[in-house]
Amino acid sequence: MNSKNMDNRSGVGQARFLTWILVASMLLGTMGLLSGCRKSGFGKDAEGKVKVVASIYPMYDFVKRIGGDLVAVNMMVPAGTEPHAWEPSTRDMMDLEEADLVVYNGAGMETWMADILGTVQNKDLVKLEASKDVPLLRVDHEADDHDAGHEDHDHGEFDPHVWLSPSNAKLEMRAIADALIAIDPDHTETYEQNYQTAAAECDKLMDEYRMALAPYEGKYIVVAHEAYGYLCHEFNLNQIGIEGVSADQEPDAARMREIIDMVGEYDIHCIFFEELVDPKVAETIAGETGCQTAALSPLDGLTQADIDNGRDYFTVMRDNLLALQKAFA
Amino acid sequence: MPTILQYAYMQRALLVGFLLALLVACLGTVMVHKRLSLIGDALSHSSLAGVALGLLLGFNPIIGAIAACVVAAFCIEGIRKKLGNHSELAVAIVMSTGIGLAGVMSGFVKSAADFNSFLFGSIVAISEMETYMVIVLALVVLLAFFLLYKELFYISFDEQAAAISGVPVGVVNAIFTILTAVTISIAARTVGALIVSSLMVVPVAAAMTIARSYKTTILWAAVISITSTIGGLVLSFYCGLKPGGTIVLIAVAWFLILYLLKWLRGRLTSGNRSADGAKRASEESKGA
Repeated sequence: MNSKNMDNRSGVGQARFLTWILVASMLLGTMGLLSGCRKSGFGKDAEGKVKVVASIYPMYDFVKRIGGDLVAVNMMVPAGTEPHAWEPSTRDMMDLEEADLVVYNGAGMETWMADILGTVQNKDLVKLEASKDVPLLRVDHEADDHDAGHEDHDHGEFDPHVWLSPSNAKLEMRAIADALIAIDPDHTETYEQNYQTAAAECDKLMDEYRMALAPYEGKYIVVAHEAYGYLCHEFNLNQIGIEGVSADQEPDAARMREIIDMVGEYDIHCIFFEELVDPKVAETIAGETGCQTAALSPLDGLTQADIDNGRDYFTVMRDNLLALQKAFA
Repeated sequence: MPTILQYAYMQRALLVGFLLALLVACLGTVMVHKRLSLIGDALSHSSLAGVALGLLLGFNPIIGAIAACVVAAFCIEGIRKKLGNHSELAVAIVMSTGIGLAGVMSGFVKSAADFNSFLFGSIVAISEMETYMVIVLALVVLLAFFLLYKELFYISFDEQAAAISGVPVGVVNAIFTILTAVTISIAARTVGALIVSSLMVVPVAAAMTIARSYKTTILWAAVISITSTIGGLVLSFYCGLKPGGTIVLIAVAWFLILYLLKWLRGRLTSGNRSADGAKRASEESKGA
């Protein structure tokens, strides 16, 4: 009886001991994992360069263009991610603590940016809202057509997708060049030169768009979400968004009906979808109306494969132009 | 005024909506009686992990979703038995695991993007392929449901008694678990997770306020589920409301109305009784 009790007690003791070992090893394991995963946001090759955090793909592209080898750029919203549904991680916060400059589009695009910048302790961080010199379009503005306008947007009052017009891209590049020159005045000449090259490319792109789209003025395009306000404004097109300015809404049955009816009314042959959003809705409307579907990128995020294949702002903008011409032809 | 049946997408929405509402109500009745009412939420979120895995390893994410759903459903079954009185925790544990896995794995998915949009469909954008898939699914599940009706009935109320009286509980549970998992993963992709997980529970809760037997509970749940779906689609078509939310709110309205009716009926019958009875009732209510 007595010995049995003793056995029991030592059994309990053993179990408790084992539990502690287990807990301790889990803690140690987690710490090991953390130290293993933890990489400094900017690598060794960032030393001596201007460290820049860019919020979304277009900003990343513009900063690389102007900064060239003189800057190290980290992109916050990773490749292939739809920025509307993104959340910052602790890594992004570490990057910001180390960075010299953060470039974001603004105008309501990065809704999470204000919160993040409020908590960053890095006093020397220069914050640039790249769209600050761009004449912004109100969201209602694009509703020239009586029923193409959609009331529910949660982006705020301005359409943030300014970079879809090359002339606005040029203004954003200018702002970025100025910020880099202020931080690193020794290389003013290089930044200025890079800006001139990129700006000339923007002008060229503008001309290409103008030439190609001139015959189609006043035409309508059906797009996944109303991101193309600046493009339409610049080249006299009209957009009909399946969803509002923000990409993450489910369409309702009445909106689907309106769009299907408009496709017939405005002689539309192509429904555009975005690569980063499921094309189901576009396909349903296309199936209903006998239209084709094609990709039109709002450029808010390229996939890693795209970037590896050397695609960038200008190549995607030219692909978009081809897709538009095809849709109208 | 445009007619609702003039558009192919609405025809599909109504047909698929009708079939899924019927299916989900049948499955939901069993699940609610098994105290697993939140299984729809748990499984549709677990299938996110399957989608992420599919994208990572390069197989069809829909197959990944179905597989993850089946695995998660069996985990719920397994954990549920170990937890005794707290069996509903199994659902919460599996849901947390699914969401956690999906969150971690999404960090590794570099190619495709907003995988929420690939996983959760919309009832007004259903492809032809999905329509056929739902028709086949409906036939299979309804057939199984009718063939196993008696066994399911036993198991829903008392698994141990069912086993003693010779019901092959293990096999029936396994079949039913697979059917539920497949239905939820396909339905989430077709009409959205909100509709599936809500229609599993709310119509059954509404039906239970008025139905007096297991059979009438199923019938009422089916009626409520189907009318909510069709009603929601019609409202969405004519008033421009979001279909998913509208369908769910109609089902909730059904619940509130039926509950109110039951309460009123209770008041009336107690009022009609003798003064003595009424006095006793009021004393009782005071006591409570």
